[in-house]
Amino acid sequence: MFDRDIWQEIFNTIKKNKLRTFLTGFSVGWAIFILVMLLASVNGMENGFVGQFNDDATNTIFIRPGVTSKAYAGFEAGRRIQLENDDLEYIRQSFPDDIEYISGRYFTNTTARYKSETGAYPVQGVHPEFQIIEKTIVISGRYFNETDFTNKAKVAVIGKKVAEDLFDKEDPIGQFAELNGLPFRVIGVFTDEGDDNAERRIYAPLSTYQRIYGNTNNINQIALTYNPNYDLTKALDFSQRLEILMKRRQKVDPEDQSGINVWNYAEAFDNISSFTTVLKAIGIVVAFLILIAGIVGIGNIMVFTIKERTKEFGVRKALGARPKQIVNLVLLESTFITTLSGFVGLLFAWVILALVGPTIETPAFSNPSVRSSTVITATIILIIAGVLAGLLPAIKAANVKPIVALSDK
Amino acid sequence: MIEIKDLHKSYKMGSNSLHVLKGINFSAEEGELVAIMGSSGSGKSTLLNILGMLDGADSGEYNLDNVPIRDLNETKAAQYRNKFLGFIFQSFNLINYKSALENVALPLYYQKVNRKVRQEKALKYLEQVGLKDWATHLPSELSGGQKQRVAIARAMAAEPKVLLADEPTGALDSTTSYEVMDLIQKINDAGNTILVVTHEEDIAHMCKRIVHLKDGVIVEDKKIEQVRAAQYV
Ligand SMILES: Nc1ncnc2c1ncn2[C@@H]1O[C@H](COP(=O)(O)OP(=O)(O)OP(=O)(O)O)[C@@H](O)[C@H]1O
Ligand SMILES: [Mg+2]
Repeated sequence: MFDRDIWQEIFNTIKKNKLRTFLTGFSVGWAIFILVMLLASVNGMENGFVGQFNDDATNTIFIRPGVTSKAYAGFEAGRRIQLENDDLEYIRQSFPDDIEYISGRYFTNTTARYKSETGAYPVQGVHPEFQIIEKTIVISGRYFNETDFTNKAKVAVIGKKVAEDLFDKEDPIGQFAELNGLPFRVIGVFTDEGDDNAERRIYAPLSTYQRIYGNTNNINQIALTYNPNYDLTKALDFSQRLEILMKRRQKVDPEDQSGINVWNYAEAFDNISSFTTVLKAIGIVVAFLILIAGIVGIGNIMVFTIKERTKEFGVRKALGARPKQIVNLVLLESTFITTLSGFVGLLFAWVILALVGPTIETPAFSNPSVRSSTVITATIILIIAGVLAGLLPAIKAANVKPIVALSDK
Repeated sequence: MIEIKDLHKSYKMGSNSLHVLKGINFSAEEGELVAIMGSSGSGKSTLLNILGMLDGADSGEYNLDNVPIRDLNETKAAQYRNKFLGFIFQSFNLINYKSALENVALPLYYQKVNRKVRQEKALKYLEQVGLKDWATHLPSELSGGQKQRVAIARAMAAEPKVLLADEPTGALDSTTSYEVMDLIQKINDAGNTILVVTHEEDIAHMCKRIVHLKDGVIVEDKKIEQVRAAQYV
């Protein structure tokens, strides 16, 4: 195999049979090129989806009560589930290691007035921690804190658009705005990138709103973030445990999704990853088919080549070539061409990906690239297949009696 | 050098079987130059191919240089061919993408002669057939006579014990034929055993012995006075 003479023979043959060499090489190189580009495209799509998701990915879980759809534990279906402060405390205490931040949400609408300006806005009563959960960016003033919360202070953090509507050019911080006729001190203004509606919102302490609306303990929704070190599996496991616990506490059928709904961002991620898994599988199947096409291509050329060279093999045998030497000659030659052109195809694809890949950055498609292990595996498969494709006809040709090979047919 | 006894060969063609060689007894000493003649289809090529181990016999004995040739597989046959035999074909059978020199060097490659020695030897034999200046040319750039001379150089390069030539002049005009025969005679003069299959009387008479084949048996075997080809060249 490392005999210099054989290689000399092979280079000689390749040099003198350029078209044949090119055809074999091209079918391999092309297959590998397409293969790499295809896998890279799939990868690009995956990157796109995952990237898009990660943009607003949070480790957030929402617990949303609703109306039961199944009879359970002696209750009939159609029961409205109401969360209260106890529930929140219960959750906080049940999962001290899992929960990072937790907040209640109380939704209502308000008519706000400052001097002569009025407007209607949604108000959310929340805990101070909600700022972190929602990633609210305060651009002036501050968010309300624990003290405000405990004191049930009538303070409000208003969206940038609310500030523009009501206060025009005035600085809203420290001013009193009337919300449904009650004076609230504006302590902060927040912004939300890209979402104008979010900036038409007002946040106030949950405790304050619970007192205003008849001293209730009611909460509309619980939002929480879990340990940011959790991976997808752990996150899904946690929301599972949370859901079981809440459903047991509220006596909701474990299968009843409308009674209590625990919504986890990670689930959306799970859906996306199973989608990209399917995409990947399709990619691999298509890539496999391309490989087969490449292999058939090589096989074809090999059969043709060997047929064409039968007489030459006969001559070589008459001159003393052993069958093994003929097989070696054919296989080394085809392996050499296959390997070389496989890597050329690979290189081409790689260069194109390296040049173009990083510049592609769209929501659905970003940074197409492939794992080198995948590509090298494919190349090796192709080479082995190329060898196998050549092996049978080569053995057959090598064992033909020279007299048959030499006879002019 | 060559000894065959009661050699039989038949070709199967479907359900029929064609009995081509029906008990050939023949021997040749070292240094002989034998012409094998006979009408078309009489089995000359068949006999030569069996002697050359390009084909196998059905029965009979064959000794080459006192080595019994039997139970040949392709590998063993290849080794014997490489060691004992040189071939000259009617259609030259040069490898078309190899230069004259590379063609001549090829049997040496299969003898595992190292590259440098191979080149030197090949050039030496090309010089002997008068084609030193054509060493780098491809067969397609050579005339028929030149091609056959390259083929002869190639057959000689392996320094075989026996040269087998199947109608070496069959594709050549008479002048070129005589040149080729002149070469063959010179090689024979140097002591090589050569068997030449031919149709042509004049070519046959340039050998030292003529064997006539008819219906698969030798009907005549006579020593003759050799006509030197050099006088026609
Ligand atoms: N491979 C084969 N299969 C079947 N029949 C064959 C084969 N080779 C030769 N024959 C037949 O055997 C017979 C002898 O053939 P052979 O080639 O030995 O004749 P030859 O004397 O060399 O004739 P020519 O002078 O035409 O070359 C012929 O009838 C031929 O048709
Ligand atoms: Mg013949």
